[in-house]
Amino acid sequence: MVQSSRHDIVIVGGGAAGLRAAIQAAEANPDASVALVSKVYPMRSHTVSAEGGAAAIAREDDSLELHGFDTVKGSDFLGDQDVIQYFVEDAPRELALLENWGCPWSRNDDGSVSTRAFGGMTTKRTWYATDKVGFHMLHSLFQHSMRFPNIVRYDEFFVTKLLVEDGVCQGVAALEIRTGEFHAILGRAVILATGGAGKIFPFTTNGTIKTGDGMALAYRAGVPLKDMEFVQYHPTGLPGTGILITEAARGEGGYLRNNKDERFLVEYDYGVGDKAELGPRDMVSRAIIQEFEAGRGFENRYGNYCAVDLRHLGEEHIDAKLPFVRELARTYIGVDPVHEYIPIRPVVHYMMGGVDTDITAATPLPGLYAAGEVACGSLNGANRLGSNSLTECLVFGAVAGRNAMDFARGSADGDQARLVAQAEEEAARVEALRGNGKGSEQISSLRVEMNSALEAGCGVYREQGTMAVAADATRSIRQRAADLHLKDTSKVFNTEVISALELLNMVELAEALAVSALHRKESRGAHTCRDYPTRDDQNFLYHTLAHRTEDGPRLDRKDVNLGHWEPQERKY
Amino acid sequence: MMAEEARTLTIEITRFDPDRDEVPKTQEYEIQVQDDWKVLDAINYIKDEVDPSLSHRWSCRMAVCGSCGMMLNGEPKLTCKTALSDYDSKLKIEPLANFPIVRDLVVDMDGFMEKFRKVKPWIVRAKERAEDMENLSEKGTFSQSPAQLASFKQFSMCINCLLCYAACPVIANEPEFIGPAAIALGHRYNLDTRDEGDGQRNAIFRGEGTVFSCSFANECSEVCPKNVDPAAAVNQAKLGAVVDWAKGLILPRGGA
Amino acid sequence: MAGAAHPEAMAPPKKGATRTAPPRMPGSWWGAPRIRTYLLFGATGIIYLLAGTVVLRLVWALGNGPDAWDYALGSLSHPLYLIFHALTFVSLIFVGVRAFGTMMPKMQPRNGPFPPLPAAAVRGLIYSVWALLTLLLSLVLSGKIF
Repeated sequence: MVQSSRHDIVIVGGGAAGLRAAIQAAEANPDASVALVSKVYPMRSHTVSAEGGAAAIAREDDSLELHGFDTVKGSDFLGDQDVIQYFVEDAPRELALLENWGCPWSRNDDGSVSTRAFGGMTTKRTWYATDKVGFHMLHSLFQHSMRFPNIVRYDEFFVTKLLVEDGVCQGVAALEIRTGEFHAILGRAVILATGGAGKIFPFTTNGTIKTGDGMALAYRAGVPLKDMEFVQYHPTGLPGTGILITEAARGEGGYLRNNKDERFLVEYDYGVGDKAELGPRDMVSRAIIQEFEAGRGFENRYGNYCAVDLRHLGEEHIDAKLPFVRELARTYIGVDPVHEYIPIRPVVHYMMGGVDTDITAATPLPGLYAAGEVACGSLNGANRLGSNSLTECLVFGAVAGRNAMDFARGSADGDQARLVAQAEEEAARVEALRGNGKGSEQISSLRVEMNSALEAGCGVYREQGTMAVAADATRSIRQRAADLHLKDTSKVFNTEVISALELLNMVELAEALAVSALHRKESRGAHTCRDYPTRDDQNFLYHTLAHRTEDGPRLDRKDVNLGHWEPQERKY
Repeated sequence: MMAEEARTLTIEITRFDPDRDEVPKTQEYEIQVQDDWKVLDAINYIKDEVDPSLSHRWSCRMAVCGSCGMMLNGEPKLTCKTALSDYDSKLKIEPLANFPIVRDLVVDMDGFMEKFRKVKPWIVRAKERAEDMENLSEKGTFSQSPAQLASFKQFSMCINCLLCYAACPVIANEPEFIGPAAIALGHRYNLDTRDEGDGQRNAIFRGEGTVFSCSFANECSEVCPKNVDPAAAVNQAKLGAVVDWAKGLILPRGGA
Repeated sequence: MAGAAHPEAMAPPKKGATRTAPPRMPGSWWGAPRIRTYLLFGATGIIYLLAGTVVLRLVWALGNGPDAWDYALGSLSHPLYLIFHALTFVSLIFVGVRAFGTMMPKMQPRNGPFPPLPAAAVRGLIYSVWALLTLLLSLVLSGKIF
């Protein structure tokens, strides 16, 4: 039996973007009911792991023009410039709002909010709360959201399908993890805020929940995925675990060193002189890989690595500004950055691509909105600048909350019986999957195969040959995933069936990613193709759209919104 | 993953499936473990390779999401932060104590979520934001000195991992006790210079089952993986609630 | 423009319940050394209870006239009583140290506009005040002053 409930809007995902959207919608419309559905309790959302900061202009020497151009240049001119302009304008207001809601931003002596330097940003515009910014932002948002009685939370509900009737998205079908029962959670508009899909890769800073569920939900509902080939490698993750060592470590003055103890980034010359470590992430990651290839990396059981050197900053500065980095380094790799190098290597961190959205956070499917990492509103283009994404969650979370509510207020309830009937079908599908002993593929090994295929084909440096192999491999993995073998037949808190559903989501995205990457025969931002080492504005200055078909993704293109800043050579 | 050293370890894990088991039972797993694994890695290995029906919660694996608290040999710990090498012969993994068990290593935390909301964990202002503008800078932020920030910062570091609830002997006897994390959070907002809700929260703290149920066991601070020191928060909150009450006696209208 | 979705839409989600196993005590919780300290701390309550009855006895004696009072006071010097006094004294110090210790091992209460003092200074201050009060009280009770 499927339970059904009705709300004005339904938000999927309880991280920064989802919570911001919920607060926006609930505060402006006290009479409206906002459902917040999340597969984990909201404070477990992966926003919690963000470390370095959130960008918005704050100082006298900064301007909207500067923040805008830094972002456009960082995106390798693939960012939509109208979106970027709106973003930089709204960013300071959003971060100030969060301050009003209790976020413990670090302060200057005069009581104003302090900012720090970040890669690719010309001046200090990254707001921070030591080096646990995501944690503080998430908890401030979640705690603030609790004051609104009209935010109705569905904690630990796993959404398996968007319910679309008459061409409008009108709710979701969700599995209540605790009971194993299905719910049709209906609304007149739906917002996806489920985050990225780092777990399609083996070595990632992302937590285990980041399986791209929202991207897959939209993709299956016929919404295209945009720019999936652009995957951000963060230069500094701990070897083995992939745990993030924040860019703020370099923003605060840390160095990157190779096995000759050289500050090798100085040699690569991004035109930032003494601040060589403050290059954008795509370039720094490539530099590290080049060091490995030239034999200048350190080596341990997990392969090559370089080092973050914080020793010259001193214990006091490290404890004041980077206490979490110190805790992580000590706990997870056994080194104390006050006295030793922190081993690091590039690690999958962020998906620039995602569900195709525009400046209003709307997707091409009426009634469906998306914000945060799940969305690709093309703020980040081919490479995101560090500390833009936390702000993006707030700015576009609010936009999505506002516009989805407007949409809901202008439309009527759909046919409940038909929507519930769809959810019944979903319930039957998942019921058949649960404990399905007839399948032959093991979840964990198929996941490993998918991970390896992407790592081999779609890493920092890519080649046509290996990308073609990855595209084939991910296609066959997607097909094989239809035949999963499950053992756990219990209804209550069955995490095996959740893992299966997550894998089914991930294999779709893996294929879309590999196919999108293979088609882009140029090097732009995070997509670096050895066969085509330069950017090709003539032929590839457009967004890639991947539409789902039974035979695999069908690619299409979408124009980049230029107009304010002309594409030029990207030199730092 | 390559490993320099592997050894065999027997791990005892609590199993409970309400559809099948009357009461929780214990199951043993003998597995090869790597020397640099955390306890969580071992649990995940069992889930992936040995017994996919084992249920547990986890996410960030870097000690900040707060999902993976469990009892390790009777002590509440974050499994992602605890090295497996701390246990050379015997490791017994149980769900967090003092919580109803939903399944295997998963506990029911809905009760906690209700307690959490009771302390009004948000900034309370006397005026709406639109009328409050004179208290904000031109950038729209409150002024707060580093010292004022430092006065509550530590209490804002709680990741809601519930280890303190599992350790608290008061919760064990009085499940309604609102508990260390919730009080620390309420106290964190009381200390925040931007907040004007301490009167409301102190009234809550003087109610049944809150700060005065605490009996100074200090267990919460012992087990806290983030050094939040909830015991200090609880004891300071006791003081605050009493001072606030005394003020109310002396200044019937002037008090908060 | 349509109104709010449905009257019942604000209700908490219809979450289902499943049968749970009852909460368990932390395993062998009495075995940990710090729990033993806690139990000891709790046990000092017995000593204070006894001390309370001693005070009651003295008050009773006061009501029965000067002879009874002198007798009662005199009996406090009995060796058994002396042991009890020592025990009470130790308990008091134990509870005091524990309370002050847990009050602010890392954090201080807000002290108005004043900058926070180093924890050691605060602790020093507390113990000095405590010692001073104890001394003052002893002097008053032994009739050395007032």
